[in-house]
Amino acid sequence: MRLTQLLGHTGLLIGLNFKRDWKKLLIWIVVLTGLLTMIAAKFDSIYGTQASRDAIVKTLKMPAMVSLFGAFTAHAPYTTAKVFATEMVVFIAIFMVIMNMTLAVATTRGDEDDGLLELIRAHAVGRLAPLCAGVVELTVVNLIVGGLFGIGLQIASLPGADAAGNWVIAVGLAALGWSFGMITLLIAQVTNNASGTTMLSYTVLGIMYVARMITDVSDPRLTWWVPFGWIEKINAYQTNRWLPIGCYLLLGIICLGVAALLNSQRDLGAGLIAPRRGRSNASAWLQGPVTLIWRQSRGLIVAWLIGNFVLGASYASVFSTIGDIAKSNPMIKQLLGTSALAAANRVVVKNFIAVLAIVMVIVALIPAVQLMLKLVSDEQKGYLHQVYATATSRWYVWASYTGWAMVTGMGVLASGLVGMYLMGLASMKDPISWLTYWHVFLAYVPAMLVIIAVASVLTGWLPKWRYLAWAWVFYGFFSLYLGNRIDLPKWARRLTPLGFVNKVPIKALSWSTNWWCLALTILILVVAAIGYRRRDLAQ
Amino acid sequence: MTNEPLLKVKHLQKRFGKFQALRDVDFAIYPGEVFGFIGPNGAGKSTTIRVLLGILRASGGNAAIFGQDVWKNSVEIHKRIAYVPGDIYLWPNLSGGEIIDLFLKLNGEKHTKKTDALIKRFELDPRKKARTYSKGNRQKVALIAALSTDADLYIFDEPTSGLDPLNEQTFQDEVLALKQQGKSVLLSSHILSEVEKMCDRIGIIREGRIVETGTLAEMRRLTRTTIDVQTVEPTPELETLDGVHGMTMQSGTNHVNLAVDSDQLTAVMQYLTSHQLISLTTTPPTLEDLFMRYYTADQPTTDGK
Repeated sequence: MRLTQLLGHTGLLIGLNFKRDWKKLLIWIVVLTGLLTMIAAKFDSIYGTQASRDAIVKTLKMPAMVSLFGAFTAHAPYTTAKVFATEMVVFIAIFMVIMNMTLAVATTRGDEDDGLLELIRAHAVGRLAPLCAGVVELTVVNLIVGGLFGIGLQIASLPGADAAGNWVIAVGLAALGWSFGMITLLIAQVTNNASGTTMLSYTVLGIMYVARMITDVSDPRLTWWVPFGWIEKINAYQTNRWLPIGCYLLLGIICLGVAALLNSQRDLGAGLIAPRRGRSNASAWLQGPVTLIWRQSRGLIVAWLIGNFVLGASYASVFSTIGDIAKSNPMIKQLLGTSALAAANRVVVKNFIAVLAIVMVIVALIPAVQLMLKLVSDEQKGYLHQVYATATSRWYVWASYTGWAMVTGMGVLASGLVGMYLMGLASMKDPISWLTYWHVFLAYVPAMLVIIAVASVLTGWLPKWRYLAWAWVFYGFFSLYLGNRIDLPKWARRLTPLGFVNKVPIKALSWSTNWWCLALTILILVVAAIGYRRRDLAQ
Repeated sequence: MTNEPLLKVKHLQKRFGKFQALRDVDFAIYPGEVFGFIGPNGAGKSTTIRVLLGILRASGGNAAIFGQDVWKNSVEIHKRIAYVPGDIYLWPNLSGGEIIDLFLKLNGEKHTKKTDALIKRFELDPRKKARTYSKGNRQKVALIAALSTDADLYIFDEPTSGLDPLNEQTFQDEVLALKQQGKSVLLSSHILSEVEKMCDRIGIIREGRIVETGTLAEMRRLTRTTIDVQTVEPTPELETLDGVHGMTMQSGTNHVNLAVDSDQLTAVMQYLTSHQLISLTTTPPTLEDLFMRYYTADQPTTDGK
């Protein structure tokens, strides 16, 4: 009886969830497994020779690469499979976590915010049934993704790979994803709405990512303290350790247990963090769409500004280590002389900055696109309905959202670069001048604006297809961050405006690229504004 | 009352893909008038209002408020309009007080003493976050903002569906006060007593068409009066007379209940009086009767279906 009280009709809810989410799940599964399998297949042709493998291993051992991809723990002889395991696992892990967090938020707080859960719980449905249905959904998705990863790696059959190594990667990634799904379910009980849950979940991921970066660079053994870093400890294609997988399962079960406990105790629609009372009058500042968006999204904007600043600063904390060629090769100092050595060091760091710039730009694009698409979601949630019944023109509302998206994108990029600059200033003997960062900023902003403008066009003309903007951003990340590694052809990199940007600060800033990007932005914005003015708004 | 209508809708059409939501909507509102807009669910009331607000674009016909096109000049028009939608969604992390002020500011108005008075009359706690408001409280937020706006036309789309009877009364009082100030009101509602009490004229919409407009008195003329009558002599021909419907026998000799078309009332009454009346009660048609007559599906629609 007690069990029915808690779990009645879970099966029905599971069916409903899958019926509603199958498209979303399918896209995630296809993209993730496709990404992993494609890269694995490509690895053989890039790192086929021993010489190329030795070269990449040397690169991967550098602190800069360690901070990006995780500690390099493989022992010689270096096979393609070992290189793959070091380079790809952390990268794919990020996406696994993002997928699980997104799904977990939608299935718990998302439904609760929409009032769906109230309707469901009014029926003969157990108190824990919705949570349980969410758990099943997450478990099934991770099992499928893990299974396909394993099969994909088997098919790709990298030189040096064996079934044991393939499956420890596949199961490890699935276990990591699942446990982060459970962490998110726990976080969902603490906050009282979906956006709060999302924000707190990303904060947890961000802290763990930075923590593992610092421990990997300083002392990889300390990475055992960071759950996100456990995935690096599977030691694929070598000792094939299953302990981290056990840790993930244990962590997941603990989080789930606490989440279930909290969920069964709390009121529907409430969280552990009690909502504060608001003002009885609007401040003089809250005047119209521009300030309204700020009032709505200031938490998000500030969080991304701080987040990217911290990310930039933590990347820069390894500048002094990587920018010290002489450390690994004392002969160089005598060969080059002090001033030439300093110049060579700077080139190494600038090379690193060129890669980091892409990360910073993508991180900046996330809140920018999010704010841009909020124009449609606010409309569909009905928040804008009454705004349009007042003397506020559509053009003004559209321009406010677009403007905030662009300003936020630029701001977050700038804060990341400032964080990098300040940390470099503090930690390096011969710091990189602020002009370098300024050039990075100038080089990427016009390309970023084109992407935001295209997202704006989608809100005006094809609101149903607005999520294409995300696909484009993630493709940009994929093509630039991994483009060199997997030898992506030039045209494929140029499918996003980011692909046209010179490798600033290694190469000079190209003003001609900037000008046509800006011109294109203006053109696209005009089209977007016309579209938004013309279309029917959601009912 | 001048003859120039404040709001004029002519042959308005709206199509969503293949679905024709509005086929032919035709009505006008004059200054100082409270216009009731009634019709079953899905008939096109809210769609019409959304077209009037320039949120949806008409597929055919035209609609003008203050003599300006509702799509092209929406911003100009909205400066003189106050609106309360049927379903109200408010930014979850703003308080009710903030939202009221924001709506006022968006129309170039300010928080006045009247706003405070309304907050008090409707008993709204303005400091609660909108996330925690019930439907009725969300409706109060929108109502307070609209009622404290100094507009020329007020549009209410089922404004009282979540309110308790006390607040409903407050709303009705406020609308009557607006009427006395010479303001115009478009009130879409399902609560017929509300419409009957407040509206000067009524438009009935069904399947995307205005099927009837007029004052309540005019409409009554179009429908049937119920008569409960007892006569001394039997009345065998009564059922065959023109305009007599639904005759039923009641307890007692020669006691019947029937409905008569308004235009045949004289003839039927003449027939009845000639058979010596014992008792006679007539009931004027209520709005409910009108409503039922237009709403029930077996009633032939104008396109002959």
